[in-house]
Amino acid sequence: MGLDEVFELVKKTNRVKIDSIEITANEIVINIPTISPISIPQTPPIRESIRRIISPEEPRIEIPEVDWEPPVEKYKGYIREVQFGRPKSEGGRGKVIKIGGQRALYRFEEVQPNPPVVTFDIFDMPMPGLPKPVREYFQDVMEDPVEWAKKCVREFNADMVTIHHISTDPKIKDTSPREAARLMEDLLQAVDVPFVIGGSGDPKKDPLVLEACAQVTEGERCLLASANLDLDYKRVADAAMRYDHNVLSWTIMDPNMARDLNRRLISHGLDGDRIVMDPTTCSLGYGIEFSINAMTRLRLAGLKGDELVNMPMSSGTTNAIGAREAWMAKPEWGDRRYRLPLWEITTGLTMLLCGVDLFMMLHPLSATVIKEFGRLLVSKPGKIEVSSDNYQWIKA
Amino acid sequence: MAKKISAMDIYKLLPKINCKKCGESSCMAFATKLQERKASLDQCPVLKSPKFEKNRKKLEELLSPPVKEVWFGYKDRKAILGGEEVMYRYELTFFNPTAIGVDISDKLSEEEIRRRAKFIEDFFFERTGEKLKLDFIALRNASDDPERFVRALEIIQESTKVPVALCSLNVESIERALDVVKSKPLIYAVTEQNFPEMMKMLISKKKDKKDFAVVLSSSNIKTLKGMVKASLSHGIEDLVLDPHTTPENIMDTLDRFVMIRRSAIERGDKLLGYPILGLPINTYFYVLSGNNPIGQFVKELDKAAAIMEASAACAMLNRYADGIIIHGTEIWELMPILTLRQAIYTDPRKPQAVEPGLYPIGNPDENSPVIMTTNFSLTFYTVTGDFEKDGVTCWLLVMDTEGKAVDVAVAGGQYCGENAKKLIEETKIGEKVNHRIIILPGLAAPVRGDIEEKTGWTCVVGTRDSSQVGEFLRKNWNRILEEWRAKQGSGN
Repeated sequence: MGLDEVFELVKKTNRVKIDSIEITANEIVINIPTISPISIPQTPPIRESIRRIISPEEPRIEIPEVDWEPPVEKYKGYIREVQFGRPKSEGGRGKVIKIGGQRALYRFEEVQPNPPVVTFDIFDMPMPGLPKPVREYFQDVMEDPVEWAKKCVREFNADMVTIHHISTDPKIKDTSPREAARLMEDLLQAVDVPFVIGGSGDPKKDPLVLEACAQVTEGERCLLASANLDLDYKRVADAAMRYDHNVLSWTIMDPNMARDLNRRLISHGLDGDRIVMDPTTCSLGYGIEFSINAMTRLRLAGLKGDELVNMPMSSGTTNAIGAREAWMAKPEWGDRRYRLPLWEITTGLTMLLCGVDLFMMLHPLSATVIKEFGRLLVSKPGKIEVSSDNYQWIKA
Repeated sequence: MAKKISAMDIYKLLPKINCKKCGESSCMAFATKLQERKASLDQCPVLKSPKFEKNRKKLEELLSPPVKEVWFGYKDRKAILGGEEVMYRYELTFFNPTAIGVDISDKLSEEEIRRRAKFIEDFFFERTGEKLKLDFIALRNASDDPERFVRALEIIQESTKVPVALCSLNVESIERALDVVKSKPLIYAVTEQNFPEMMKMLISKKKDKKDFAVVLSSSNIKTLKGMVKASLSHGIEDLVLDPHTTPENIMDTLDRFVMIRRSAIERGDKLLGYPILGLPINTYFYVLSGNNPIGQFVKELDKAAAIMEASAACAMLNRYADGIIIHGTEIWELMPILTLRQAIYTDPRKPQAVEPGLYPIGNPDENSPVIMTTNFSLTFYTVTGDFEKDGVTCWLLVMDTEGKAVDVAVAGGQYCGENAKKLIEETKIGEKVNHRIIILPGLAAPVRGDIEEKTGWTCVVGTRDSSQVGEFLRKNWNRILEEWRAKQGSGN
């Protein structure tokens, strides 16, 4: 069939389907009545592609260009920055840690300025009840909290140390606030990292213990743990204001309760920039989903501009070790040396991804993994070089 | 959350004849269930008639979630990915728990393949009355030999009935495997490099009525979106996205997960509204090859690899992964992954309740104490957790308080004498012990009188917190029991 005949056909039918075509000429102009003129120079690749287009058996497959922009949000609010410790230039012991300061929810929107921080739990008396996989790291220092703190810093790279004055519990040893304060002074001498100061959980005694410890650590910007609605939180806030410390505002998984306590602390006179929130960390398997919701809602509310909940957050990640899946020696659950820290890691990582800034932890391995993820969290996107092949695993 | 569809919008498109064939009392009730995703369109037989075809299409469109639900596997054993509506679980709920796949290399011996496949099929970890399981086998073409790949698939199909992901970049291997696969497989992967060839083969298989789901893979989200567009234009619609798992910096990967999900849910980008696949297995092999960030504590590379792989997996579960592929199968690695998945996908709309009834803690006998708590999950698990930790042996009565905690249930009237009586009768606890004493939580002190009156049992108010119960019992139980017996004796 000649070209002229094809055009006649087109004129009559208004359409024509060509299954295979071969064109040879120096230059041809095809004038199809309903279609705008196209000129086809005679070059082999084009001839090839003409063939392909018109063959129904071989659809052309390529990745089309599309529009897409990273979905970056604008946030009205920000997360406050809280400082622990005092620099040497101001007469402190040296190490200064800052947490918070976020201006966005996700790293791809804006990288957070401060990495998440791990504070190691230590106790003012031996803790024979700690599970073996934890105890084996601290057995040699348990008798002496000062050595315990040193070990956390020197061997396990602790950013901070949390001293739990549990012997002050009237039901345990009823150690006096003065004695607790003396220990505090020794601890300050021993290491240069900032401290979280914890009581025993006795609502009557804790404010007294925290007050005494706050006094001897004046200006060190410790974190007093904690102010909560079950005790005289005003007294704790007063101690923080008088001696230049921060306060841990602890509530139970209810964002409204967290807001209420913060409001009370602020209206009592405490600077909002001196508050860290602890909305309670439930262990993996024991209600962690409640903590996920509480932390996420608080962080989002803070970024949306609610200045009563835009404080950095803390997590008692150590709670994870209380789960039987973590501590119990049970052969069918595998080796406790890995199972226990992994339970704490999973709990901590989940909290990290919900926005938590400060992690109270016990197992040095768990702390290391959380810090490793924290290091990556504050790395600029694309800054760490990736050389691994995404498909390597298929052939591994 | 994306635009909210009202039950009225749905109702308008239903037959409106209230035939009740769907099991609901009216079309409006059915519409409400559909809106809450508690019912499916298939339940309405009337919609299947040609007259309603248009409406049905509209309804499907209206009810389709911003993240498409994609399944693979067998009709009666599916791995279901996606189908999500929200960014945060408290906004509604997450629907399909992350499907967990474990790899099998086609380089393994036939016996090893069979054993690993069987392990994946049979494995479960039981928690809070639920059997937590693995979901699919990721058969990988490590040999790059189509022959071995197909043979391995045959062995898996002979010995198990688990959904399979066919993982190879080799077009011939996938093509051959598609000819023998007995289920709807997930194909891994169409990549930027093999795109034209792999797509061409898949399109022709599609024409032969072969059913499969496909993973599209690129570290560039824009490219991924283009790949989706191309796939859809060729009628390949069951898609899963792999935005690459980079073990050097898992945060880059998590960012891509979030960007894809936010584009789909908050920006209404339909071309990115597909499930996401994560590859913690990349972390495993990365650490195994010597990049061990925890060498100070764990020297054995396979253990370190498993710990870091589980960590990556858990991070992904927190960042919208709808499917993951892992390598490690040690129980201590799988336990936290499965437990976290269970937690994240718990429906927050449902009361967090456990089955009411009698739970023996430890090995209780006829002299053991009886303690009564509520069926609020968190209360229950805290109590049992504390008891186990403290070595408490007792009979634990769990009252149906509609999933309320003790103080709330006391105030709300669910923790009361009437319900206590019912519980005692139903559990026949009276036949298991030779005393008639119940220990109540400290917070239940106000209803002590009511319970004693309705049940005839003696009530003792215990501690405020379950962590103190162990000490309380050690100090007091024998005395309480003796006093009660003495009283009974004198009464007779």
